Amino acid sequence: MVDHGIGKPMYRLEDVRLLQGQGQFMDDLNPLPNIHHVAILRSPYPHARIKAIRTDKAALVPGVKGVITGSMVASLSRPFPVGVTAPVKYYSLAVDKVRFVGEPVAVVVAKNRYIAEDALEKIEVEYEPLPAVVDIERAMEEDAPLLHEEVGSNIANQRTFHYGDVEKAFQEADYTISHKFLFPKYSATPMETYGVIANYEKSTNSYTVWANFHGPFTLHSVMAAALQVPGNKLRIITPKDNGGSYGIKAGIYPYVVLMAIASRVAGVPVKWIEDRQEHLAASSSGTDRVTYIEAAFNKDGTVTALKMKMIDNVGGYIRAPEPACLYRNHSNAVGPYRIRNLYMEAYAVMTNKCPTGLIRGYGGQEHYFPIERTMQMIAEKLGMDPAEVIRKNLIRADEFPYKTPSGGIYDSGDYHKAFELLLQVGKYHELREYQKKAKADGKLFGIGLACIVEPSGSNMGYITMALTPEERAKSLPKSGCAEAATVMIDPSGSISVRISTTPSGQGHETVAAQIVGEVLGVNPRDVQVVAELDTLTSPWSVASGSYSSRFAPIGSSAIYQAAQKVRQKLLKIASGILSTSEEDLDLSQGKVVVKGNPEKSVSIKRLAGLSHWHPQGLSEGVEPGIFETAYYTVHTANPPDKNEFVNSSVTYGFVADLVAVEVDPDTGEVKILDYYTVHDAGKLLNPLIVDGQIYGGLVHGLGGALYEELSYDKNGQFLAGTFMDYLCPTATEIPPIHIHHIETPSPFTPLGAKGLGEGNCMSTPAAIANAVADATDCIIDNLPLSPNRVWNLLQKKRQEQEKVYIRGDH
Amino acid sequence: MNGNGSIELKGTVEEVWSKLMDPSILSKCIMGCKSLELIGEDKYKADLQIGIAAVKGKYDAIIEVTDIKPPYHYKLLVNGEGGPGFVNAEGVIDLTPINDECTQLTYTYSAEVGGKVAAIGQRMLGGVAKLLISDFFKKIQKEIAKSKQEAS
Repeated sequence: MVDHGIGKPMYRLEDVRLLQGQGQFMDDLNPLPNIHHVAILRSPYPHARIKAIRTDKAALVPGVKGVITGSMVASLSRPFPVGVTAPVKYYSLAVDKVRFVGEPVAVVVAKNRYIAEDALEKIEVEYEPLPAVVDIERAMEEDAPLLHEEVGSNIANQRTFHYGDVEKAFQEADYTISHKFLFPKYSATPMETYGVIANYEKSTNSYTVWANFHGPFTLHSVMAAALQVPGNKLRIITPKDNGGSYGIKAGIYPYVVLMAIASRVAGVPVKWIEDRQEHLAASSSGTDRVTYIEAAFNKDGTVTALKMKMIDNVGGYIRAPEPACLYRNHSNAVGPYRIRNLYMEAYAVMTNKCPTGLIRGYGGQEHYFPIERTMQMIAEKLGMDPAEVIRKNLIRADEFPYKTPSGGIYDSGDYHKAFELLLQVGKYHELREYQKKAKADGKLFGIGLACIVEPSGSNMGYITMALTPEERAKSLPKSGCAEAATVMIDPSGSISVRISTTPSGQGHETVAAQIVGEVLGVNPRDVQVVAELDTLTSPWSVASGSYSSRFAPIGSSAIYQAAQKVRQKLLKIASGILSTSEEDLDLSQGKVVVKGNPEKSVSIKRLAGLSHWHPQGLSEGVEPGIFETAYYTVHTANPPDKNEFVNSSVTYGFVADLVAVEVDPDTGEVKILDYYTVHDAGKLLNPLIVDGQIYGGLVHGLGGALYEELSYDKNGQFLAGTFMDYLCPTATEIPPIHIHHIETPSPFTPLGAKGLGEGNCMSTPAAIANAVADATDCIIDNLPLSPNRVWNLLQKKRQEQEKVYIRGDH
Repeated sequence: MNGNGSIELKGTVEEVWSKLMDPSILSKCIMGCKSLELIGEDKYKADLQIGIAAVKGKYDAIIEVTDIKPPYHYKLLVNGEGGPGFVNAEGVIDLTPINDECTQLTYTYSAEVGGKVAAIGQRMLGGVAKLLISDFFKKIQKEIAKSKQEAS
């Protein structure tokens, strides 16, 4: 059983049922009789006024139970609350206007999906098309098409931040550099799409919803506010298994409200399973971002200041938790570097694209792409090795815990050690030697490096950075950083644990069982884990859910502490029976044993039986039953202060990447020859799961770097509606990946663990871009690096070289 | 999407013109046209059923003929809406006599699509347009030949 303890590579407990086809996913649920099915009519226009909707023909189709339009939604719900002051009215169904292609316009409830889909065609919508805008900077211009008349501008949020003395640093620096970067809109593409079952109970005016929603459960209050009910009248239950999310399933909440209303109007329970086209066009996505970056640096490569103007495209409506993408990395904005002067200007802009939300890496990929490209450009400008520039600037091991200029508290790390390990295992110097030869042979061979700090366990107070300190002062301070778990033992002595981390494939059940098993001295395989979250019966907090890699730092800590509570209780009961003080007792192999005298013991089964069957036999002050809940939070997760300092995450890991690529000069295709990644995520809870997470994050990052883009034409038409158009990496695109770890345990979490599922989403696009720039000597400031884009850059460079040649010739 | 092309038709300018302006002929020659009904001067309502890539569906279309200079020139405006999205197209057609028996027809068009058709069918649109156009003229040629045969 020690073999399966914390930190051991135990096989995932979930896989037994998943591999036998016994998973219980959203579409497998059938919790109520008489469930009807929903189809959604969606806008073909990126921007249009809805002049009329005629639904009578659809309503008359046999089997149709109800048709819901925007006016009903406007009368039965309120716009979703959002954390900015701009008065944006976002409903679950378009009211009066549509603002992106795919926006829901009407809903049909019918006996089955076939009838519902057919009835959609009978709905007549009269649109008055309006000019659309999709370009981020165009949307900010005064004469741009305006999406929300009541806001008066397409800018939904704007903030500026000064840390240190940026102007002075720029004046004193030997050099400065500036560049504009564009990060594309891309997505997460889980195998399982959104799904909702909703039932309205008229007698109690309450809604019960089953959805593969994964939090953050702060959005529960957003949904309840939209439906105008107290939280206990909106019961949300998540299924046992979730077919992947990578952040995107946070974006299901408008559909939860829409289905709740549909059930209310139609008078029957309703079910909706999103199809793939709907998912690509209209679920959610990451933001596309324009970044203007300026860096001040000295001859020796030391970077002294950064200025960043970041403009996020949040799509047709700014919706919760946006504009969080701009602020999630606020505390770790300088990455792993000792840069003390920082200026940031943040904008959230609305355009006629699908609204955005959480995507694995949330904000990190957008943020580190310009920074890591700039680090390499600095090296080029100084004629230095990029590795040397990184070395010069990395935070030193003796500086932890390190306070960043914007208020982040990096809990632990040894960045130099991790980086040197990377260069060693990746044979960096040999690669550089090889590169000289390869380039001489006319090969476009390049090496890319990237170092990032991976935040995990969000302090949700960071979202209020969207407000000014004065605006923040008007409401309660917010930090929202707690997680809960319950451990219980039934009369037969068997142990269960209920978690509120809504796993979507990360193996939380396994790690929860490992932790409880180790603390209670039992085999993890005998621990039953309940991962379904029920807002009426589970212990949970506003921060609960599966996002910001929060299981390792926070979720696991709550489990650990709940298990500790049970342990203390077992020891206390046993102490009476064994007439031994608690300090002299231990838990091992399902028994409480006296230390140094293992013959003297009492089984957990006996202790649990006693607490259930004979409470009177317990010593005084011991409650009957064994059912312990623990809430865990971290003391460093404070609300932002009036000086705009915030520690936006609980733990901060480190990722260093090295990638070698070769670019085909004729086709522009990028071939990844080798990928090395070194992680420091503190204490690893299960190395097997850890490496699985890293592979997944890296491949998602690879998608962002080379393949994936939700593209729109200039008129706002969506062009990537299938997997033929939206390319995801498949098995054949995955390069050789070499993972290495160092472990500097976090002093802020009881197990020393940090999150790690998102790091490579943040680092891989930058590392590959650096490698392609190194291979081609082209300026890479836009992704994805599709053959088309790279080929065009190569052509442009060739033409410029020819021009120079011709000029030189005459 | 934009395109243009030309085709040589066996028939005089007048013969070609009369076919192109005849609603009963047009409804036969437009692929997927289930009905074509005159609803105003030079304005028709059409029921079109076309598949573009995987997106098959029905479009309610308004077809307008403008800028008419018989028998040499006209402009066609098509606005179709349906389950798969919308199609707005504009075509300009010019006829020039080659000799007593043959006419050169040249055309230019531009089309915009929206909704599912754009999200799924965009890559196929050029090919679909070519198919629809070549099929149309093939059928028109047949109609001209047929009436010539009947006349002789």
